[in-house]
Amino acid sequence: MADKPIKGEKRFFVTGNEVVAWAALAAGVDIMYGYPITPQNEVMHYWTRLAPKYGRKFLQTEDEISAGFTTCGGVFSGARAFTATAGPGNTLMQEPMSMAEMMRIPAVFVITQRGGPSTATVIYSQQEVTLTCFGGNGEGMRVVYSPGSHQELYDYTIKAFNTAWKYRFPTFVLGDGYQAKMRESLIMYDPEERGIQMEPTEMIVGKEGTPGVDREPAHLRNTYNTEEELNVVVNELVDAFWKAAPEIVEHQEFNCEDADIVIVAHGVVTRAAQAAVKELRAQGKKVGHFRPITLRPYPIEAMKTAIAKAKEIILVESAEGQLDKIVKAELYGSQIPITPYFRPGMGITAEEIIEFINKKG
Amino acid sequence: MAKEYKIALAGEGGQGVQSVAGILVEAANDNGREALYIPNFGVEQRGGVSIAFVQIADEKIGSPKFKKADIVIALSDRSVRRTAQYVDERTTFVYDSAIEGIEEELPKNAAKVYAIPAIDVAKNELHPRVFNIIIMGAVIEATKVITLESAKEAIEKKLGYKFDQDPKLRELNFRALEKGAELVRQFNK
Repeated sequence: MADKPIKGEKRFFVTGNEVVAWAALAAGVDIMYGYPITPQNEVMHYWTRLAPKYGRKFLQTEDEISAGFTTCGGVFSGARAFTATAGPGNTLMQEPMSMAEMMRIPAVFVITQRGGPSTATVIYSQQEVTLTCFGGNGEGMRVVYSPGSHQELYDYTIKAFNTAWKYRFPTFVLGDGYQAKMRESLIMYDPEERGIQMEPTEMIVGKEGTPGVDREPAHLRNTYNTEEELNVVVNELVDAFWKAAPEIVEHQEFNCEDADIVIVAHGVVTRAAQAAVKELRAQGKKVGHFRPITLRPYPIEAMKTAIAKAKEIILVESAEGQLDKIVKAELYGSQIPITPYFRPGMGITAEEIIEFINKKG
Repeated sequence: MAKEYKIALAGEGGQGVQSVAGILVEAANDNGREALYIPNFGVEQRGGVSIAFVQIADEKIGSPKFKKADIVIALSDRSVRRTAQYVDERTTFVYDSAIEGIEEELPKNAAKVYAIPAIDVAKNELHPRVFNIIIMGAVIEATKVITLESAKEAIEKKLGYKFDQDPKLRELNFRALEKGAELVRQFNK
């Protein structure tokens, strides 16, 4: 049996779904649970072909609810485990995802957003931001990374397992159908060779020793009898999340220092925003771009600094204002105008952002 | 070759546009260039127009899809209609001269419009199976995104196992590639 899936640094030219499968292998994932849905299918496809060569496992379940719960079960047994889904599958999986919030289960979920509502398209959107950040009957105590390239898909899939196991919150890699299906180049590497230590996993259920004698009892609950009891638990959850948040938040900014207009965009749309800034700067326009990499928790402090001198935000997303809602809530009290450029379920190019900004004058 | 090329290849399912796109970007990547390829895909199992969106450049590429292409290749009547939206005054529009009834629908705003007899050449001179390789030759001649030599290496990589069984197939594919390039070259003179 081959030992390390990736040795040294290697250039690959593959689809994003294949990137996710390789990244999970490189991160030392023990098992993937899953149920097919486009455009996520090939994550499972590649995983089932690669995993047996490295002694890793796969379980196909009967639906997405089960895929989510079995992933949580795998994690309870101490396995580094993940699943991947999209669209209506993401909707169904909210129940196990909110259990993962409640019980601090370090499960990793890869989402490849497709068009919505309902079945809609199998192609692309950024319409699963609200669902992924705040879905379920909870408080959104989740970490959500929004990568924008195959390189980042690789980097952040590996990172998701470390964030999950370090902070013990369910962690999401929020991709999309474009990233899932397109081919582009990236460098794959063994995390350890780059000095990335994988967070150790541990059994959560069935630990060694006698509870109360050799160790503290593992008190795993998602059911409470009184309002007061639940309120204490949720408060602890919320406190732990916001305590960890400053260490988790990530962002990128481009030419924001002196920008009059700051384009705010995430995920694959950052590529269009970056190209637009380059071109508009060449035209002598003071335009910058702020890009949250974590959508939850949101890098609000960095954003406030980035827009400190700006006169306007242009919010660009392939949804009808899902990132916009987060930004407005986070910016409460700020007077900066926010102009929307929403294209629900559609790709956005640099050319159309440039045209939009130039037409505004 | 510093220019960034945006290429839209469109045809009926089975005409092989996705495999042409796949080989093209593999070859570009092997030559150390940046390439990005995304197929259009929907819920249908078969039928419908199949489009491949390809970009090749020297630097990392922006959005996966684009509004306007540098070159559009349309291989069926429906593809001609479907791809009109990707054409502007900088676009070279290439279609097969065997497609009937689309004269009125050819894009009027294109920089250049080439009709090439690829279907006819495949059927009568070479073999219908290498139709997509003829198209690949045409794309390469029109864009120069890679050399014919590196295209041959990429084809070898992809189909070498078949060529080993039947060396005549290698010759057929390479001739198809050259022929495709030739069909466009006569316009570029």
